[in-house]
Amino acid sequence: MSDPSGGRRVVLDPTSERNLPIRERLPRPKRLEGLALALLDISKARGDVFLDRLQTRFEERGARVRRYRKPTFTKPAPVDLRRRIAEECSAVVEALAD
Amino acid sequence: MPACHVIQLIDPLGDPGLVEAQHIEGFDQGEVPLERAGRILAHWVSIVGDPVGSRPLPPRWIMESPLALRPLPSGVVAFVKRDCPTCAFVVPVLADLAKATSLTVYCQDDPTFPACVTAIDDSDLSVSWHHDIEVVPTLLRVVDGREVARAIGWHRGEWETLTGVAGLGPGLAEMRPGCGSLSVDPDRAFDLAIRFEAGRLAARRVAIADGEDEMEALFERGWTDGLPVVPPTERRVLAMLEGTTRSPDEIVASVPPDLVPCTVEKIAINAVMAGCRPEYLPVVIAAVQAACTDEFNMHGLLATTMTSGPVVIVNGPIRKAIGMNSGRNVFGQGNRANSSIGRALQLVIRNVGGGRPGEVDRATFGNPGKLSFCFAEDEEGSPWSPLSTDLGARPGASTVTLFPGEGPRTIVDQASRDPESLARSYAVNLRSLHHPKAVLAFDCLLAVGPEHARVFAEAGWSKQQLIERLHALLMIAKAELVRGAGGIAEGIPESVPVDALPKFKPGGILVVHCGGEAGLFSAMIGGWVNGEMGSQPVVKEIER
Amino acid sequence: MSNLEGLGVPGVFIASEVFEDGAARQAKALGVDPASVFIPHPIQDRTDEEMVALADAAFDDIVARLIEG
Repeated sequence: MSDPSGGRRVVLDPTSERNLPIRERLPRPKRLEGLALALLDISKARGDVFLDRLQTRFEERGARVRRYRKPTFTKPAPVDLRRRIAEECSAVVEALAD
Repeated sequence: MPACHVIQLIDPLGDPGLVEAQHIEGFDQGEVPLERAGRILAHWVSIVGDPVGSRPLPPRWIMESPLALRPLPSGVVAFVKRDCPTCAFVVPVLADLAKATSLTVYCQDDPTFPACVTAIDDSDLSVSWHHDIEVVPTLLRVVDGREVARAIGWHRGEWETLTGVAGLGPGLAEMRPGCGSLSVDPDRAFDLAIRFEAGRLAARRVAIADGEDEMEALFERGWTDGLPVVPPTERRVLAMLEGTTRSPDEIVASVPPDLVPCTVEKIAINAVMAGCRPEYLPVVIAAVQAACTDEFNMHGLLATTMTSGPVVIVNGPIRKAIGMNSGRNVFGQGNRANSSIGRALQLVIRNVGGGRPGEVDRATFGNPGKLSFCFAEDEEGSPWSPLSTDLGARPGASTVTLFPGEGPRTIVDQASRDPESLARSYAVNLRSLHHPKAVLAFDCLLAVGPEHARVFAEAGWSKQQLIERLHALLMIAKAELVRGAGGIAEGIPESVPVDALPKFKPGGILVVHCGGEAGLFSAMIGGWVNGEMGSQPVVKEIER
Repeated sequence: MSNLEGLGVPGVFIASEVFEDGAARQAKALGVDPASVFIPHPIQDRTDEEMVALADAAFDDIVARLIEG
């Protein structure tokens, strides 16, 4: 018997469907000087070179850069890594997806 | 059963949402409303066109879709299954009919049955389902694609009349009842309903990507109240809709703050998410209707910085019918009906109405009851009339009452043996509702526990007597209420020209009987701002 | 995109431009509007000097999305 959804899981939308609620972005920090900034390498090739350069540029502008790396790009960032970033930094730049 | 409108879907185009539909020549557009056809199309579009990685479906699958349903061939049409003694019984009759007239046979379980005619394979039950076949064998007479007569089971006279062929089944008994059709088999009913009926459901379909955790997906989309929700699949929503006789597209309320017209279907989706059973759905619907009245003013209640949320009190036979709790731990956790009905109301307000904390909901503290606060009155143990009739509902009816309440506060009185003493205990507690100097602006729901109720019952006090006594005891001298009195800045202005003011307005004390049989306690649930500007309690009869 | 906004950490996501369409669709489905910067494809076979140049070229855009104002 064919399954109309092709085996994928489908749920019904419980909302009014009026407008997709765009969740607001968090407020941004005000300045780079002194900012505890995480650079998160998602572990695709060449990302480290890219982030090395960004680190240099950010440090020139006074940011306090910390580097982090996802163990593998194929899976989401592990809980412990995300928690560390949240504890240690105020903002994050994540690179480099392709 | 009207002839089906035939729609052949061809390959969806690359762009999600674009599907070409083509009418097959030769069949008229008559009976099926195009609106339904449009909804069926919408169902397919949303399945094939989801924004997260859509992929085209193979053309063969689309051609086989149940939507590509041809009208029945003219002549005599029989529905049978091999696994049915009556169908086996009438095989010789079918053989005779095949020779005498135009006969088409659909077989539900084995296209090699019967051996005497070439049957059409209906093992996916699409034809049987669409023609409401409940029994096999069923015989139809079809003229120009439309059914004009039907015979259920074997009955010589009926079959001869229907077919126009005399002398059928000479050696057979006059009649013999049939067996259940596979298309109404409970084990298969929902799969069939989803395949064929899901077109009735108008809600946008949202596909959860492969590898995405379905619980996390619902959190990510902002559909929950902070706790996980049950994924509202088509199957679950169709099952939930069995709990009401209303049509899924019936609009039953306009939900604030966005004032969105809310269908039964949307309530059912949120009821699934809340963890409701289908038999709870009528209570949820009534609660949504009551909450969305002007009198209850859900918008105001939502937007307030105060603590209150909608509290649902259920009366009448439905309490037992769906297993609600009116006794021990009545305000607490553990009872599915209590917890899920209250939760469903909040999810509707949040998801349909757009009322979320931090947005329109600006409550400073809120209260845990805003997750869910729904309970049943203990009417059987009560010496008094139920809350519903106090508010004007029909005696004996199943109702919901909505009250704009904060969390409950306990009244401890383990010594009063006479009603006057207990009433005074109540009064000094009620005095402090929101603030000892706050008068008239707030109502209160007083929950009298069974051990306390007995004190009043044994003394012969009616509910009305208790309420009147409380009002009298809560007449407060102005000197205590003015600003500055007691060294407290709060209060009424000195200029108010009265000697005393009542704590509660007339009708501002509601009484409900509930709670465990042991414990000399009652409870008070403070209200929100009352009157025209605020919220008034609303009672609504529950309709299945 | 890692869900660090959910943990209170504002962020900017940088990807190759081929990501732009898919990211937009996923964001729309989830109702988020993440700050993103897209850089020219391809990435994999760039030399170190080319990567440095790409980073320099993207830097101002990244700062604009990272910092208020």
